Amino acid sequence: MTQLWDLKSIQPNFEVVLPGETIPALFWNAVKQRGPQVWLRQKHLGLWRSHSWNQTGEAVREIAGGLLSLGFAKGECASILANTVIEWVLADLAVLSCGGVSNGIYPTDAAAQVRYLCEDSRSAFLFVEDDEQLDKALEVRERLPGLRKIVVFDMAGLHTLQDPDILSLDALRALGRAHLARQPDQLQQRIDGCASSDLAILVYTSGTTGKPKGAMHLHAGLVYTVRGFNTLIAQDEQDERMCFLPLCHIAERMGGEYFALYTGTKLNFVEHPETVPENVREIAPTVFTAVPRVWEKFYSGVMISLKEASAFSQAAYAWSIAVGNAIADQVLAAQTVSPWLKLKFKVAQWLALNNVRKLIGIHRARFLVTGAAPISPDLVRWYLALGVPMLEVWGMTETCGASTGVPVARMKPGSIGPAVPFNEVRLDPATGEILVRGKNVFAGYLNLPAKTAEAIDPEGWLHSGDVGVMDSDGYLRITDRMKDIIITAGGKNITPSELENDLKFSPYITDAVVIGDRRAYLTAIIMIDQENVEKYAQDQDVPFGNYASLTRAPEVQALIQADLDRVNKKFARVEQIKKFFLLDTQLTAEDEELTPTMKLKRKLVEKKYAAQIEAMYLS
Amino acid sequence: MSNKQPAPGDQPLLRLQNVESAYGAIKAIRGISLQVRQAEIATVLGANGAGKTTILKTISGIIDPRKGTVEFKGQDITAQDPALIVQQGLSHVPEGREVFPLLSVHANLLMGAYTRKDRDGVARDMEGVYGYFPILRERAAQEAGLLSGGQQQMLAISRALMANPDLMLLDEPSLGLSPKLTKEIFEIVVRINRERGTTILLVEQNANMALNASDYGYVLENGRIVMEDSCAHLREKDDIKEFYLGLKEDGVRGERRWKKKKTWR
Repeated sequence: MTQLWDLKSIQPNFEVVLPGETIPALFWNAVKQRGPQVWLRQKHLGLWRSHSWNQTGEAVREIAGGLLSLGFAKGECASILANTVIEWVLADLAVLSCGGVSNGIYPTDAAAQVRYLCEDSRSAFLFVEDDEQLDKALEVRERLPGLRKIVVFDMAGLHTLQDPDILSLDALRALGRAHLARQPDQLQQRIDGCASSDLAILVYTSGTTGKPKGAMHLHAGLVYTVRGFNTLIAQDEQDERMCFLPLCHIAERMGGEYFALYTGTKLNFVEHPETVPENVREIAPTVFTAVPRVWEKFYSGVMISLKEASAFSQAAYAWSIAVGNAIADQVLAAQTVSPWLKLKFKVAQWLALNNVRKLIGIHRARFLVTGAAPISPDLVRWYLALGVPMLEVWGMTETCGASTGVPVARMKPGSIGPAVPFNEVRLDPATGEILVRGKNVFAGYLNLPAKTAEAIDPEGWLHSGDVGVMDSDGYLRITDRMKDIIITAGGKNITPSELENDLKFSPYITDAVVIGDRRAYLTAIIMIDQENVEKYAQDQDVPFGNYASLTRAPEVQALIQADLDRVNKKFARVEQIKKFFLLDTQLTAEDEELTPTMKLKRKLVEKKYAAQIEAMYLS
Repeated sequence: MSNKQPAPGDQPLLRLQNVESAYGAIKAIRGISLQVRQAEIATVLGANGAGKTTILKTISGIIDPRKGTVEFKGQDITAQDPALIVQQGLSHVPEGREVFPLLSVHANLLMGAYTRKDRDGVARDMEGVYGYFPILRERAAQEAGLLSGGQQQMLAISRALMANPDLMLLDEPSLGLSPKLTKEIFEIVVRINRERGTTILLVEQNANMALNASDYGYVLENGRIVMEDSCAHLREKDDIKEFYLGLKEDGVRGERRWKKKKTWR
């Protein structure tokens, strides 16, 4: 097990571990190089099943052959509408092997969005996971003349379906086998014909305002970036990752699928987005990338079970985490940890910390990576105190994932680290906006040259929209989204995300939106963590019926007020949140208020709850 | 959502506050708060294993809750002896009838009145239940085990009535009965409520029947109440329609197998 004071085993790798200048070239070289080794693992009827590189190659070959037999032309687009399952990866690699363009659609998207994305990307083929996703496609198929075939991964409940334009993945593979028997060289020609300057994937930005925009990434950029990732945080064939975030999101597509493709790291797929906590414990990943919401959830889970634990366990935890914190402090201050403290930490690990790590499922983790949203520095410190390094990265769809990252050698919680070795980062002298330049930067938004010109200036700098500050070591800290900065009626500039992150550190608060632009004081809209607040209410004998009555209970209001007071203490008077209201409907990813990664959409929430917001400003 | 909160001073007949009951380490109900107002029929809907029966057993004292209080007529009856609870006017019609199979129908009915001292009252109530269920009078001398399922259910309800209760807990009266019989039983349950003024707390899987017969409903999932409202309102909710009444749009293909996500709004 790595120790926080000795992280020499985590080293960047500057070598090219796999040849290839396009994603298909990388993949087929990987199949050759790693043949019988396991790459993908997924549960089938409750049992883990391994897929070797050879098996994966076989499946991809057949799917690609099927696409070719149905006339899938080079440069055509195919969209994938599915949860994170192995077939997603197979379809993606098959599309790319045919020289096509691959686009992901969130499984939580509604039919109208599916239509927009298929239309905008001019998808000729659509892969759907099951009958539920198929129904969305069928609802809008009439209005998608360019869509030729729909391929269904899982045919359960669809065996009676007779439709010439819908076929199962198995049927597509059968077509592929027959086709490749007749034309054995066609696929290889397509693979060889794929140039690194070709468009590879489209990643639609979740679009908190307006229609989603399709960010275009070329093979060159993808290959350059996965090689770059290994120079930031290296992983190899011995590592185990968990594949669970939506694959249409850049984080899992790059950091999960393509980075694992390049390095040979095993990808373990979760059963369902809701079984993530159980699956983490089963998989015990050695390398683990997740979004802050996941880390928050783990933390609050531990805090809640601690409250139920015996007095002895609580005392043991308190002592152990204090030792862990002492070590984290010394490591962060670049001091040498004394042997005595190391010995105390051994005891602390044995007493409590190892169990906490096991409870989460990070007992084998060499390090953790967090990104895609701001995280509270206190939360990062907590993981450090457990003895696991947690590294924050910052990036966006347009930078193809991580663009800055905290190196293991010098961690600074609250910072997103210096620029990664493979791109340049600077601050706009006038506005403080973070600018990025490098081969990882995207090739523009599909069909939107004006938007592209807004994003990338003539010198090639990408304008991220995030405002940051840089310290003397070149470490960046995000202060806020440019358009989110609040200027109160008193003229004070306030960065809501700082307050919001501190609020989210509470196990009872899932997300918060701070309001106060051109207002006399700040207020907040808060989404409670249902499970933890219900538990609290039950423990405190607070009567409640449904979710709405839970949010109205005076004791729950007081609980949130206490968290608010805790946060307010850290801020100056004008920066304090004076009032709040709790969202009284339980939101799901299907709701318009949330992004697919379960963040509240600020602008939409502000508009939708305008009446409640106004009420907070009436005295 | 629950606009039908009782006016201040209007004491509900039964009130549960944060009741939590467990079987060993398994929590069956996790913080239930509900109330039943005088002379109404309230219903708790839920799937298998949601904790419906556990609620009733906790009310009638068969299970002692880990937490929370049960108040009946303003008195705390939490974890009291079941016999004492019956004497205060609360009787329980258990799931699966549980009649005494080797005793005669008449003797079964007398068992229901076991805790009572007023012979005249017992005789009057005996006439009353024979009025609701004439078949029981015909079979009075027969062993209860020889009755059909529907008749046994009638007997179980009658036995509970023999305690002259103010509140009757009814655990899945439709269990194993034909639709026709279920309808008959429900009609009589409503009659009992209207004529005798007996307050009823009904637990059912047959949501359609229960929502039609009752005034106020609670929906229970995994040991928690996820929705409560008047039954008229509940019937109009999308989630109730899809998951409890089996009414759903067929979707584009004319058949839909997958289920929407429950939101309980």
